[in-house]
Amino acid sequence: MGTVSLKNICKSFTPGVPVLDDLNLEIKSGELFFLLGPSGCGKSTLMRILSGLTAADSGSISFDGVEVQDLPPEKRQAAMVFQNYALWPHMTVFENVAFGLKIRKLPRKEVQERVMEALEMVHLADCADRKAPQLSGGQQQRVALARALAVDPPLLLLDEPLSNLDARLRDAMREEISAICAKRGFTALYVTHDRQEALSMADRMGVMKDGKIRQIGTPRELYERPADRFCAEFLGDINFIDGTVDNGNFSCSFGTFPVTGEGSGKHTAAIRPERIAFANENEDGFDAELVSGSYLGDCSSWICRAGNADLVVREFAPEERTPGEHVRLKFAPGRLMILE
Amino acid sequence: MKINRIFQYGTMAALVLFLSVFLLLPVFIVIQVGCDWSLIMEVCRSQVYREGLLNSLQIAVVTTLMVAVISVPLALLYDRFDFPGREWCSLAMLLPMILPPFVGALGFQQLLGHYGVFNSILVALGFERVDFLSGNGVFWSVCFIEALHLYPIFYLNIVTALGNIDPALNEAGANLGGNKWQRFFRITLPLMRPGLLAGGSIVLVWSFTEMGTPLMFGFTRVAPVQILNGLNELETNPLPYTLVLIMLIVSALLYLVSRLALGGSSNATPVKGNTSSSSVKLASWKKFLPGAAFVLVSLCAILPHLALLGIAFGKNYYNTILPQGFTLEHFDSALSNVLVLPSIGNSLRYSFLAMLVAVTVGVIVALASVRWKLRGSAALDLLSMLPLAVPGVVVAFGFLGMTVKFSWAAALFDPVENPLWLLAIAYAVRRIPYVVRSVGSGLEQTPEELENAARNFGASAWQVLCRITLPLIVANLLVGGLFAFSFSMLEVSDSLILAQKSEFFPITKALFELSQILGSGPSSASAFGVWAMCFLAVTLIAAGVLLGKRIGSIFKF
Repeated sequence: MGTVSLKNICKSFTPGVPVLDDLNLEIKSGELFFLLGPSGCGKSTLMRILSGLTAADSGSISFDGVEVQDLPPEKRQAAMVFQNYALWPHMTVFENVAFGLKIRKLPRKEVQERVMEALEMVHLADCADRKAPQLSGGQQQRVALARALAVDPPLLLLDEPLSNLDARLRDAMREEISAICAKRGFTALYVTHDRQEALSMADRMGVMKDGKIRQIGTPRELYERPADRFCAEFLGDINFIDGTVDNGNFSCSFGTFPVTGEGSGKHTAAIRPERIAFANENEDGFDAELVSGSYLGDCSSWICRAGNADLVVREFAPEERTPGEHVRLKFAPGRLMILE
Repeated sequence: MKINRIFQYGTMAALVLFLSVFLLLPVFIVIQVGCDWSLIMEVCRSQVYREGLLNSLQIAVVTTLMVAVISVPLALLYDRFDFPGREWCSLAMLLPMILPPFVGALGFQQLLGHYGVFNSILVALGFERVDFLSGNGVFWSVCFIEALHLYPIFYLNIVTALGNIDPALNEAGANLGGNKWQRFFRITLPLMRPGLLAGGSIVLVWSFTEMGTPLMFGFTRVAPVQILNGLNELETNPLPYTLVLIMLIVSALLYLVSRLALGGSSNATPVKGNTSSSSVKLASWKKFLPGAAFVLVSLCAILPHLALLGIAFGKNYYNTILPQGFTLEHFDSALSNVLVLPSIGNSLRYSFLAMLVAVTVGVIVALASVRWKLRGSAALDLLSMLPLAVPGVVVAFGFLGMTVKFSWAAALFDPVENPLWLLAIAYAVRRIPYVVRSVGSGLEQTPEELENAARNFGASAWQVLCRITLPLIVANLLVGGLFAFSFSMLEVSDSLILAQKSEFFPITKALFELSQILGSGPSSASAFGVWAMCFLAVTLIAAGVLLGKRIGSIFKF
């Protein structure tokens, strides 16, 4: 329903310590965009700047091409699901959800319908008459979500909206949110530090660190082609291997492997643990010694020493192995990524 | 956003103007008129005035100590233990607030007078009469009555301070092996210092400048009463201004000393999470002890007023333990006095206006300092707290001086023509701190995110204020308003000084005039006092009903 574009956003709370540092971001209409980053990276600040609750020091924000950075929060039409819910304790659940609709002066009947519809979406229709503080944390979080969905916002801002739900409910709500956003065509910005959430739900996502967005792309692009060491590590476990690149080949202490891309000289290569597999003695691969391992049920995580590198190897449907054992490892050509 | 800021700064400027004209200007005038070296020397040389100041100072110190002895143990009991009737204790502790001390003085004399209740008991038991109220007896009586009126202020502040101490801090102390007393002296006491400071300094200054109680006891050798007595010759002799100035300086010094003694800012961090787990349940008969302590103190506080009931309804209540019969004639004689009925209407009008002004100003000051966080709002906050350290007599004299000095002030509120606005504003100015405290703490306990969320859903600043902020702090607002109202109804020094014409007398001045009539005076004054107390009690109960279940939470300052 709207394109959101942020240009050259800067913000600092103490001079000289930027929270957001010349940040640029474009969110396409109808897209569910995820911002992923460690705590303190500025993602919540960015969200508050979008909603108008915090003013940026400089830069421009536009919704659908209209600049909004000077609009007060109540004129921005960006409904937010607050991280700490911010439910009004003096109102019932129904009144909380109805607030935005009443402010928009909708007829009473429509308010009634839309509130109940939103509450049903989050499975809380039978709690409508209870006061907000009487609900559990997870229920409150869902009310906060319903409150934002009810106003049918052109832009939906979600600040870790599922952080307080138990695992099963969280999975259900993930699907629910994805479905609602797709169905209604909301443009949504979703902030989280849970990479599973981002990878499973995002249309596109950005990884943030120190007030800058380090990389933007689809979940698969980011996971499989991380731009730098930080992005690579933040999205999941990964092995870093030091070596040299020469003529499309990467040489390290346990072998030489073909890689794509140009460049030469010292480089760090990276490979995800689940891309390394155990090989038979006669297969192509390289030798290693099994150092230790932990059994995780559906998989095992092994540490194998190859040359001078300790590699983490994830084996699904794990075999029984003993530390000290000699093993042979392999990975498909092209799975080795050369980092900048 | 910018328009909002301009509006906020504009509002703040208007407030500063209001406080400058009605608080700083009066103080300034007192300083200007009173700061006459020859007059100051005269006061210092005069044995009578020196004695008056010294007596006031002694009353202040003794009263504050008494108050501390009464309230600290009760506050600790309330904080530490879970006992039957706990929820009523906050309410009981508020009782003295509706019992005006200068009316209580009448009842106290009935109890301890030469032909009073205690002496009648002694005689009945075969003992000699004791003259409780001769010699130093009056001094101790004044302190005692004032302490019985002021302990709630101290108590509420300490309970709040204790509530702000995270129980985990104490648990950590216990975990590291500190026993009960070590924990009290090393953890609790240092952390509750802000409460001691806030409560102690208010009580100290208040009792130093209290006029009504000594006046009722006929204890004329205290500075505030001497000031009142000098009022009649004010035009020829500006000496009372100098006395007022000296009282102002001493008050400020008292404030500073208590600040120094109890030390700087709070380092208690607000409690996070659930705190209800911290109170201990007592076993078997022990569980009634804390409640009994509360009952005992409350009983002491209402005893003088019970005696007052005896005088008001009693026949021949003289030299006997109980009245000799029931009569309504004192009410008749009180009502037949021309002062009485108009004074009720006057007080209601003054106090209602005072409440409106105090609440409006208080809410804006609280918003400015807690929410808007404008440049200079800390100074505004400090300015609005100034009345706590500025005695009522100072403000009253300053207002009097203003009407003499400025024609606009004389036109707006001439005390002879009609003191309506004069009294309303004088009452209001001194009640602003209570409203600011009450509303400010409400705002601090209300997460700003709730307001942000409303704005995020499209509510304008005004809608946020009306639909979110004010409803969330309605209890604090009501308490602030009620305190402003009932303190105004009971106000003595402004009333005695500023209401000069009998048709404009408020209740307190009418009461005082009534009690001065020889013979039937004290009993009809008692009857009128009872009426006034009932009226205040009804107001407070009405507030309690209005607030329903939240009655317990409203008294946490």
